This record gives sequence, structure tokens and C-alpha cells, in this order.
Amino acid sequence: MSDRNPGMDLDLEWVSKVRVNTQAVLKRAQQVQGRKVAKKEWQAAWLLKAVTCIDLTTLSGDDTPSNVHRLCMKATQPVRYDLLRSMDMHDKGITTAAVCVYPSRVADAVKSLKAANSSIPVASVATGFPAGQTPLKTRLEEVRMAVEDGATEIDIVINRTLALTGQWADLYKEIRHFREACGDAHMKTILAVGELGTFTNVYKASLVSMMAGSDFIKTSTGKESVNATYPVAIVMVRAIRDYYLKTGHKVGFKPAGGIRTAQEALVWLVLMKEELGDQWLTPNLFRLGASSLLGDIERQIYHYVTGRYPAYHELPMA
Amino acid sequence: MADRSSHSVYNIFNSMEFGPSAESSAATAASWLEKHSRSLGLFIDGKFVHPDNRETLAVSDLKGEILCSIVCADDEDILSCATSSAKGFQKWKEMSDSWRHKVLLRLASSLQRYSQCVCEVCDLCRIPGSAPALVRLAQYYAGWAQLRHTLLPEWNPRGVVAVVMSDDVFFYSVWLKVLPALAVGNAVIVVPGVKTAPPTLLLAQLLMEAGLPAGVLNVVTGNGSVGVRVAQNNQISYVTYSGSKQDGELLMKQMAGRGIPVSLSLSVCSVCPFIIFETADVDSAVDGLMDTAFKNCTEWRWVVCVQESVYDAVVEKLKFRMAGMKCVGVSDECERGRVDAAVHEAEQQGATLIQSRPPPSSGCVYPPTVVCNVAPSCSAVVSPPPGPVVPLLSFRSAAEGVALGNYRPHGRAASIWTEDLTLALETAKSLCVGLVCVNTHSVTDPSLPQSGRRESGTCTDGGREGLYQFLSASVTPARSEPVSVDYTRFGAAASRFLVPEGSNSSSVSRSCSHLVGGKVCKADSGCSRAVQAPGGTVLAQCPDGGRKDVRNAVEAALKVQPGWMKKSPAARALALYSLADSLDKRRQDMAASIHNQTGLSMEEAAQEVELSISRLSDWAALCDKQNGHVPLLPHTGSALSTPEALGVVGVVLPDTKPLLSMVSVLGATVSVGNAVVMVPSEKFPLPALDFISVLQACDVPAGVVSVISGGKDQLTQALANHNEIQAIWYWGSAEGRQFLQHCSPLKRLWLHCEEEEDEDGGKFWTKPSFSMQEEMWRECVVWKSVWIPTA
Repeated sequence: MSDRNPGMDLDLEWVSKVRVNTQAVLKRAQQVQGRKVAKKEWQAAWLLKAVTCIDLTTLSGDDTPSNVHRLCMKATQPVRYDLLRSMDMHDKGITTAAVCVYPSRVADAVKSLKAANSSIPVASVATGFPAGQTPLKTRLEEVRMAVEDGATEIDIVINRTLALTGQWADLYKEIRHFREACGDAHMKTILAVGELGTFTNVYKASLVSMMAGSDFIKTSTGKESVNATYPVAIVMVRAIRDYYLKTGHKVGFKPAGGIRTAQEALVWLVLMKEELGDQWLTPNLFRLGASSLLGDIERQIYHYVTGRYPAYHELPMA
Repeated sequence: MADRSSHSVYNIFNSMEFGPSAESSAATAASWLEKHSRSLGLFIDGKFVHPDNRETLAVSDLKGEILCSIVCADDEDILSCATSSAKGFQKWKEMSDSWRHKVLLRLASSLQRYSQCVCEVCDLCRIPGSAPALVRLAQYYAGWAQLRHTLLPEWNPRGVVAVVMSDDVFFYSVWLKVLPALAVGNAVIVVPGVKTAPPTLLLAQLLMEAGLPAGVLNVVTGNGSVGVRVAQNNQISYVTYSGSKQDGELLMKQMAGRGIPVSLSLSVCSVCPFIIFETADVDSAVDGLMDTAFKNCTEWRWVVCVQESVYDAVVEKLKFRMAGMKCVGVSDECERGRVDAAVHEAEQQGATLIQSRPPPSSGCVYPPTVVCNVAPSCSAVVSPPPGPVVPLLSFRSAAEGVALGNYRPHGRAASIWTEDLTLALETAKSLCVGLVCVNTHSVTDPSLPQSGRRESGTCTDGGREGLYQFLSASVTPARSEPVSVDYTRFGAAASRFLVPEGSNSSSVSRSCSHLVGGKVCKADSGCSRAVQAPGGTVLAQCPDGGRKDVRNAVEAALKVQPGWMKKSPAARALALYSLADSLDKRRQDMAASIHNQTGLSMEEAAQEVELSISRLSDWAALCDKQNGHVPLLPHTGSALSTPEALGVVGVVLPDTKPLLSMVSVLGATVSVGNAVVMVPSEKFPLPALDFISVLQACDVPAGVVSVISGGKDQLTQALANHNEIQAIWYWGSAEGRQFLQHCSPLKRLWLHCEEEEDEDGGKFWTKPSFSMQEEMWRECVVWKSVWIPTA
């Protein structure tokens, strides 16, 4: 992992100067979606890159040790071995970037992965996910417990009330506390963009989160009505670029929620490459939060290798 | 898949390259070209014709491979084409509005059907052409065809219109001329450039399929001179040109003296300001810049002006975003050399470069380059070479940004970036351009009227306003043959000192003054000339003005005109009412002046004064009635189109109705916010000179109106040679008209014959129709559109 973002003092002047032109961002998003990746081996390689950036996620009320276990197994072997082998990629360590579960399932995931001799990190959502409407004290406790259980990445949600009312200093303080509670675990800050109102607010919240020491900023919980959209991603990614140009620290980006197809995964990679450059195209700085995406990618890879579309039962269940 | 190994999945996985872009298919274009055996003829009288023994020109694609050949038309072809167009015009003119409407609508739908083919042909010929934009254009002007008689009664089509294009014009620009011309009932001869020829021929064919009668649209191809030869044909009633400044000027000169109006749209290579204020969404501005500046074919060139407080941010973002960008193709080695030279020159003058990669040692490509801290005089700023090179300048305040943006010879378009609405609108108002895009870099829609300013032309295209160039309300000057004029000596005759012929000592003539920049004075040269009554008696000595008087008048006008233009229309109306009032108070004196000067009866003279008063009141009343509009675009956002004053207008007045003609012109020009320098009739200057005291007694600010008496040719020459004068209205000799067309091709010229004092001539002034008044108003203004896209 690259050097972590240590954060910086809250610079409210910088935050206040932020300006975002909505139509220009929408236009840019259209452009990015129009940029095509070549077919064949290029597509296969890009899709495998996407696989290595996936935070394979299950966040349901009915999660139990058995489906978490299956998820972990899928994370260690995300694409059928024979398919990888035919592309000569079987020995290149293709796994997903992490598995992502609720705090109560962290122990199960850690156990499953340990048993499989895998070093895939376990990520846990925390801090009153998804609404964040619980007292700060319990939210902090949640983080500490997840870390104790063995989570090495924590996806925290910000307090939208503070962001919407412009209390950036308080938001900064809260995230700072979370960062302390995380300790060595990496912190991904979920902005819940669908509930922030404007692009300008998204940009500001991104800046404040990074100033407070987030290692990643993440679009949404997947539980809001509006999830990861390309325009909102462009706004966040620009904030990342701004922060990097000013401080020299690279912060990662994680879109999550509603990403289901291989085609979408490609657009996300294009967006990162166009806006931030190749250096951001690694799991250290880019994650895709998804659950059903992997299945579609595997199907596309199957098609690339065999020239046929697989029946659903031909690919292992996640 | 020869080198599959280097493109192994693993290698790509590590490099994350995009891979080769998919070869764009050109199958339909190829099959169209094949159908014509890859040799395209001329399109005359509804079909392709292949005259024998003509030279041909090859059209090549990006790789230099020959796509097809086009015919170089010779004089015989042009003649048959003109004859066919004249017949076509008769048919087309007679058709009903709804029929013309139907034809254009059918064109729109067949464009939709064949959009693939049109795009591919454009691509192959390396000219940008977007089918949806063309469809919209056809639909828009189809609407105007339907409504012509309802909304534009009294206006008539001009006849056969020649649309001449240079090689590097956008395909859309060709049709932005052709379709409005067709919509209002003209026949059109298109002379496309070599590269635009194949798609133009394709569209001509589509129009024919849509039901356009044969001959209404003819396409003549050929080398450089064919445009001029077509324009000079005596069937042509109007010539409009789109392309580069050089060729446009040349065409204008060659059309001098033919009595045919010529207008120029010179957007090719226009340098446009791209202004980024500190209140901008800088990331979006940088994106916009990269989107528009580093393409291999663009019509406009950009100069980026960045406010100092965000200059570093812009530079850093550009560096970050441009890193590793691929080289962009330039058209040939020679062009690449020019780009290289310009960049080197800038570097030597201390500029620093942001370059995505070092330029390769050879090949027709160049890396995207931003030239920072460049001297404003550097050729990279003044005339940026056609390539992916953009100069970057900085400014301190918003006002300085506008000044920097205006400080260039072109006036085509501007892109401004700020989230501050007030600043955006103020800036848009102050920029001397035809199109202002706020927080975006371009917009293509036919409903936006845009005038070229300064060196970007003399023509208004788009919108309802773009139709008027193809219509006429008044009687247009008759066609004529050029006469021999010594351009260097025109108007150079020295003033004649008049020795007083003291035969009759009792009538020592009075001595008049003229009005220069608000001051009543003698001619700068000190010379004067005698004014004679029709009987031959010397009535007075009037100043014999010249170059320096014009210079002084223009200087004064430039100082007061911006303030006059900024005044509210209501305030301008009041000033003009006060002028009418002032004239009313001196009606006796003025009538006497006309009577003495022209020999008209007192009664007729009084009538002219009466009409003059009412004319001034007309224009005063119109001040706050003629307004801009809000075009409705198919995109989300707000557009504003406003008429704006030209600046300083020079007018050479006729002998007819000396007071009425002067007052009509004065009212029209001044009411919209122009300053005017008027040259009264050489023969009958006294009413105009006597009017000076009327002017001085009213509220029109000093300097807005100047009246300079003297030799007509001399003063015409002086007006023509002052580059701050934006437009010249001229009533006078064929030589004078020819001289003006030849010597000031970039001014807006409104040329009229000196009418005889007959029924017709008088009518122009005494009984102008509504449309004639409107035509005069349209000659006084230029159109600016502001486009503010919103989400």
C-alpha cells in the first residue's frame, strides 16, 4: 500500500472557494462514457483489472456465516481458473481487492479467508451504516470493534446533517475521530452523494473528508435512491486531483451502488484513467463497491476466451 | 494479430492502454463514391454532368490516398450553370411557401436516413460534419420557408445567389448559407472548396431527391478562381462568402464595381478569447479547453486569458491532465513547420511550454502544447498556427480580462467561464464578438443570429436575422460593369483654392463652418469651397474638409460612442425627440435654407422640413421598440440575441432631399447607439451645415454626430481609409462605389446610386415603406448571441 493520507488542518478558505458548474460536469460525463476501450484482449485485460479493484460486498439483513463464506471463496478465485489459465493470467494473483461486510460478520469473513490462506483484506462498513443517524459515541465504538475483529478497512459514513447545514468544522472533527479509531485500518469515507443536494456540496464534503485523513472517498452506501453516477464521480475525482496537486497525497476513489455490468466497470476505469491518470488504476487507489458485477464480468471473460456466452450454471455461485 | 505477444492480456493489464481505436467504417461512403466511379461531376440542372476535357482535382483522405476526383469547371460550364439557375429561380419563386417548406422538411428526413453516408463522406474528406446539426438546420429553415410571406411580407428574394466557400470551412457553414437562401425563394449556386466538394455534391443530390426543382441548387467545383468567375456572372444577384480573410478580401476586390452586394463570413482562423475568471469552475474550464483546442480540425483558434489569482491552478491542472496525451495530426509537413516555428519564437521570447510530450522529430503530428507567459505581440497569440497549440495569457481584473479579450483583430466568438452571473452578462455585453458562450466553448444552433465583427466578416448568419441577407426590400443597385478607377488617386485631387470672383461686391458670400467631433470649426486644411445656388450665384463658402477632419471626427466619436450606446434606449429616444423639437423651432430657417440652396419652392421646402421632423420622431419612437429576443434552442439553457451598435458609421449623403436624407440617416444610426460621421451633398451642403445649429441646441451628446463638408471623393477616400469606421453608407457615383468595395472590403458597405431627382429617388426618402425602414435599421446593427447552458 502506498503512503497513507495523513490529512491536514481544515482549510475553510479552500472549501469556500469551490465552484462547480453542473452542466459542464454533465457534459464531461457524457464524453467519458463515449470513450471506448478496444475490444478483445484489451477488454479482457481491463475487465480483469476491474476484478482486482472490486470490494466484493454483501450488506444484507440476512447475511449469515455461510453466504459470507461463499463470498470469501469467490473473492479468492473471482474468475474460473481454466479461463484465467487460457489467458495466462492464472498465476498473476487475480483476486478481488477486498470483501466488504457488516461489522457483525467481520469475524466470519476473517475466519473464512484465514482458512483459505488468503491475504485479502476484510472491509467493514461502520458508523451507523447506512444513515449515520446514531450518536457519535456508538459510531466510534462500532469502528473500534470492527477493527478488533480483524477488519483492516473501514467504510465510514459521514453525517449528512453536518454537510447539508454547512458545519464543515464539525464534520472535519468527526471524521478525524473516526480516523483515530481506525488506527492502522484504512478508512474509506462514504459521502452518500445522493443526499448532499448539489455538486458543490459533494466537492466540499470530498475536500473536508480528505483533509480529515480519509484514505478513500466513496460515493454512496448503496442504500440511497441515487447511487454512483458518473457526473458525481467526476466531481469527487476532481477534488481528489485538487487535493493531490495541493498536498502531494493521493487519495483513492470508490464508487459503489448500482454498478452491475461489465460495460459500466469499463466506463469507471476510463473515467479514472482520463481524469486522474494511470497511477490511479490500482486497487490501492481505486475500488468498485459491488456484489453482482463480478458475475457479469466473468461472463464477458468467458465469452472472450471461448467465443460463447455461458449458461448461468456454468459459472460458480457467489 | 501478428504481435499478439506484446498485446498479451498481462501486458495490457499492466499498461492499461486503450488499445487501437476502432477503424471507422466508410462502407456507405465508399459505395456512394463507387457509384459515381470515384469521379464526381458538376451538379447542374438537377443532375451530375461530366463535361469532356476538363481538368480534374483529386480529393485525398487522411492517409493521402485519393478518394475521388472533381471537375474544374470552365467558363462554358459556369455559363450553363447560371442559365439553369436563372430558370430554376423563376420556378422556385413561383412555388408556394408550403411547397418550399415541404421540400426542406423532406431534406431533413432524408438527411436522417442517410446520416451515416453523409458523416462518412465528411470524415473521409477530413472536414467536420455532424448529421444531427444539419437535420436541425434543415428543419429550422423549413419553418421559415413556411412562414416567409406571413412574417416577412414586402421582402423579396434576391434571385440567384452565389455561395462561395474556401477549403477549410465547416460543412455546416456551407448549409448555414444555402438553406436560408433556398428557404426564402432564391436559387443558389454553391462553389465549395476542394475538400467540401464531395459532401456538398452528396447533399445536392439529397435535395434533388427531396423534390427541389432542377436548377434551384447547382454545385460548381474547381480550383481557386472558380468562385470569383461564378460570382462575376451576370445572373448573380448576391454573393456571400465563407472562409478565410485573404480570399474573402480578394473576392470583394474582384467584385468591385459590379453593383452586386457581397458579404463575407470570415470565421476560418478567427482568434477567439477563452476567458477564465477566478470565479470559474476551473476544472470544467480546463476540460472545455482541452476538448476544443487540441483537435485536429477546428474553425476557430483560441487564446486563453486567465485571471492571475487562478493562473497557477489552471497551469497545474493543465499539466496534470495533458500528461501523456497523444500527438495530434496536422495537415502537412509545412504546417507542422509553422507550428514549430511559432512555438520556438514564443520560447525565445521567454514563454514556457506545457507539452504532453516532446514533439517527434518528423511526421505530420504535433503534441498538444500550451504556451504560457507568452508576449501578447508574439505570433503564437496574434495568429496562432493551425495546430494543437494554445497561448495562455494572464490578467488582473475582470475589466482587464475583457480588454485583453477584445484586443485582437477578430470578432467571431468568445468563451467565458465564471459562476458569477452578473460578471458573465457584463462580460458578454462588452466583448466585441458575434457569439459568447458562457461556461462552454461552443454551441451550434441555427436559431442563434451571429454577426462577424471586425476582421471576422460583414455578415449575419443564423436565426431570422440570417434571412435578410437573402432578401431585399428596397430597389437594389443595378448590375454594372467595373469602370477603370485609379484606386491610388481616387479622391486625391488637391483642394482648389477659390479666388473670389469679386464681380458683384454687394453679395460677399457668407462663410459656413462644419461640425467635427462636437466643435463647429473650419476645415483643418483651412481651405474652403464655394457653394452655388442652382442659378450659379455663389451662396456661401463652406469648409473643404479632408483626411484630418475625418480623423478628428472619428477620434471624438470613439470617445463618446460607448457612453451613448450604454445609455438606456429611453434616454436616446428623449435626445432624439429633443432634436426633432429643436428642428421644429427652426423650421422657418431650415425651409429657407433648402429653398435657397436647391431652388425648390418654399412650400416644397417646408414640406421637407415637416417630413424631417416626423422622421426624427419615428426613429426616436423606435429606440425602445426594436429589441432582441430569446431564441429557443433544443438544448437546456438560456440564449439571448441582441442587436448592438456598430460603432462609428460613415455616411456620404445624396444630393436628393439634402435635409430629409441626412435626418433619416442620422436618426437611424444614432437611435441604436452608433456615432455617425456624415458628408453632406457636395452640391447642396448648406441645409446640412445650417442643421448644425439645430444639432447644437439639442440633447444629443457632442461628438456623436459630425458633419464634414467638402469634396465627395476626397472625403469618401478619407472614410474608407479609417479602420475605426465600421460601416459606410454611400450615395454616389459608380466610381465611388467601386472604390469603396475595392479599398475597404472588410467594412459593412451599403451602396446606392445617386438617384436622379425623379419620382423614384425622392420616394426612398419621402415615402419609405416599413420594410425599407427596417432594412435601414438592420444596416445599423450587428447581432450578438449569448448562450448560457444550464443543467
